[in-house]
Amino acid sequence: MGMVSSTSVGGKRLEWEETFFAQGGMKDVHWGKNKNYVVAFYRDDQDANSKERIKNIVETYRERIFNLEGGEYWKGLLVWPYDMIEYQGKLGIVCPVYGSEFFFKYGSVNNDMLGIKGNEKEGKWFASASNQNRFLDNREKGNWRSYFRIGILLSRAVKRLHSAGLAHSDLSYKNVLIDPEGGHACIIDNDSLVVPGKYPPDVVGTPDFIAPEVMATKSLKVGDANKALPSMNTDKHALAILIYMYLFYRHPLRGGKVHDMDPQIDEELSMGEKALFVEHPTDHSNRPNLNDVKKSSLPWADVEAIPYTAAGPYLKVLFDRAFISDLHNPMGRPIANEWEIALVKTLDLMQPCMNNSCAQKWFVFDNTTSPKCPFCNTPYTQKLPILNLYSSKMEGQFLPDNHRIMVYHNQYLYKWHVDRSVFPNERLSAADKKPVGYFVLHHNEWLFINQTLSSLKSVEDDKMIDIGASINLKEGVKLLFSDKPTARLAVVQIVNS
Amino acid sequence: MRRLPVYLLIDTSGSMRGEAIHAVNNGLQTMMASLRQDPHALDSVHMSLITFDKNVNLIFGLTELSSVQLPQITTPESGPTFLGEAIKLLIAQVDKEVSISTSEAKGDWMPLLFIMTDGKPSDLQVFEEQYPKLKQKNFGSIVACAAGPKAKEEYLKLFADHVVTLDTTDANAFQQFFKWVSASVSVGNQSVGASDEMVLPPPPPEVNLVI
Repeated sequence: MGMVSSTSVGGKRLEWEETFFAQGGMKDVHWGKNKNYVVAFYRDDQDANSKERIKNIVETYRERIFNLEGGEYWKGLLVWPYDMIEYQGKLGIVCPVYGSEFFFKYGSVNNDMLGIKGNEKEGKWFASASNQNRFLDNREKGNWRSYFRIGILLSRAVKRLHSAGLAHSDLSYKNVLIDPEGGHACIIDNDSLVVPGKYPPDVVGTPDFIAPEVMATKSLKVGDANKALPSMNTDKHALAILIYMYLFYRHPLRGGKVHDMDPQIDEELSMGEKALFVEHPTDHSNRPNLNDVKKSSLPWADVEAIPYTAAGPYLKVLFDRAFISDLHNPMGRPIANEWEIALVKTLDLMQPCMNNSCAQKWFVFDNTTSPKCPFCNTPYTQKLPILNLYSSKMEGQFLPDNHRIMVYHNQYLYKWHVDRSVFPNERLSAADKKPVGYFVLHHNEWLFINQTLSSLKSVEDDKMIDIGASINLKEGVKLLFSDKPTARLAVVQIVNS
Repeated sequence: MRRLPVYLLIDTSGSMRGEAIHAVNNGLQTMMASLRQDPHALDSVHMSLITFDKNVNLIFGLTELSSVQLPQITTPESGPTFLGEAIKLLIAQVDKEVSISTSEAKGDWMPLLFIMTDGKPSDLQVFEEQYPKLKQKNFGSIVACAAGPKAKEEYLKLFADHVVTLDTTDANAFQQFFKWVSASVSVGNQSVGASDEMVLPPPPPEVNLVI
């Protein structure tokens, strides 16, 4: 393989393979020396504006995100270009290579019949029910809980971009790599970012993820004031779609409704002006036609079998806004931080399925008195303690936090459950990552074992629970986790008692 | 779910015998392997292969990517190039296989057609009669490839949206061509430019694009 070398804008000597190994919509991607980096050349000439925009991303914004305290954290989530090069009239960017967890280790079924072992774990492999059901090796799939974690990481990464004033502008499963097995995710192609004050990039996004207002005005000329271009608001739409697709392996707007006989016009209407949620509560006209879906995409393609409400109450509220009330109102779409909080809280509603061979392994408790796994329909038959969390803004008065914890065997309780001033995000300290206690089912009694809480009190009988001691979780038990003003109070409820 | 029908028409006339047909076989294999590694294509692409020489052969009708079994394609000792007949069969297949939208159900995406020939139609009368009908069919894109020095672009330009020329009919040229075909089929998955044009990725350097 022939190598080419030249000096980067940043003054480094670069060497890359003459022939590209991958092609994106805009760029040809070449391996750098020893595959330690990649050099991606834009096929089209980039004008002065575009060069200036890319330079901003590579220099100013990269430093702002990665060189501040805590910057290291983002290297795992955002694959960012760190240098530029001009070679034979073409502009290129230099990017780090992704971690090995983002390449298939086992690939597809039947001894990797598709030959994808070693390929990038492009998001689409996982966001399609038929790819999940027919092709992916089980060891690549993770379980349902993994996809909540992935949603959290993606929300966090988008939150970071937006708080720097940047819009990604082309979020899609093509530009997101995920590792369900290990619970990792990263956003790639961060060169198409919309930089404040600079001309936007020349993309409108990727089909499936283009916001309705952008799709509806796609045919207007660049420069027309009515043409909607990618922005933070369109990122919010794409993020909602990503989260929905990773949880339900189907597209929230691709249903059975026919808007036009011409497939291209139909596509533009159903993703644009006429976009309608497949699970709209009152307008059922876009429900997927089950005679028309691939058998291999069931049960996921059946919105009655696995409705979006299976993701629990916190996410339902956000999906309602993203796909129903504010689908066509860009300002009202949930922001990344709201998704992150709702996903984190939903983890506390999850229960391991009692059926050992359930493919999803986990489900979200549905707030009924007879819970069952929505995927394999196995009922949950044990006694299930629930902790309802409250916190106090005024001494002596505790108000509900709209946050519940479904208890399961060997579940840990963390600082962010017991103290309202702590939230599990990228700023969580190492000390706060350690559990404060755990739950066990012991001789048919549910116990909470206190590991580190120095002033845990059972309110009803006004009794302190020492470190190392336990308390029996019975209906109505109230636990005050500490004597600090930010401490939470938990009220225990028992289902199936 | 809409399917993306992809039709391949490959010239297997006598002149393709030897290195050229080997190169086509290899190119097809590579193309299939690469499409099967594309999660988007696996979800939507259905492929059909028709060859033409003195006969027209339907190697397989529209088949889901993961089920396609590629046979070895062979050429007769010598003989004419019945491109016209091939187009006739293609039209019949499209009418039969591609589902059209109704007010009740979504049909397929507009099919893509790739035609490769190293010569010119020997059945000119049938060709003259068929190619206007082909143009009336709603193809998303028709790409024709004129392979080697004897291929006549002017016939292809009559119905194709794009004509690419290969200077030679050797392994490398075909490899590049089929790689490009698979990239073109995968293009629906990629970022869309703000100016709402550009459907095909740029052809590899070995291929010359004649519009």
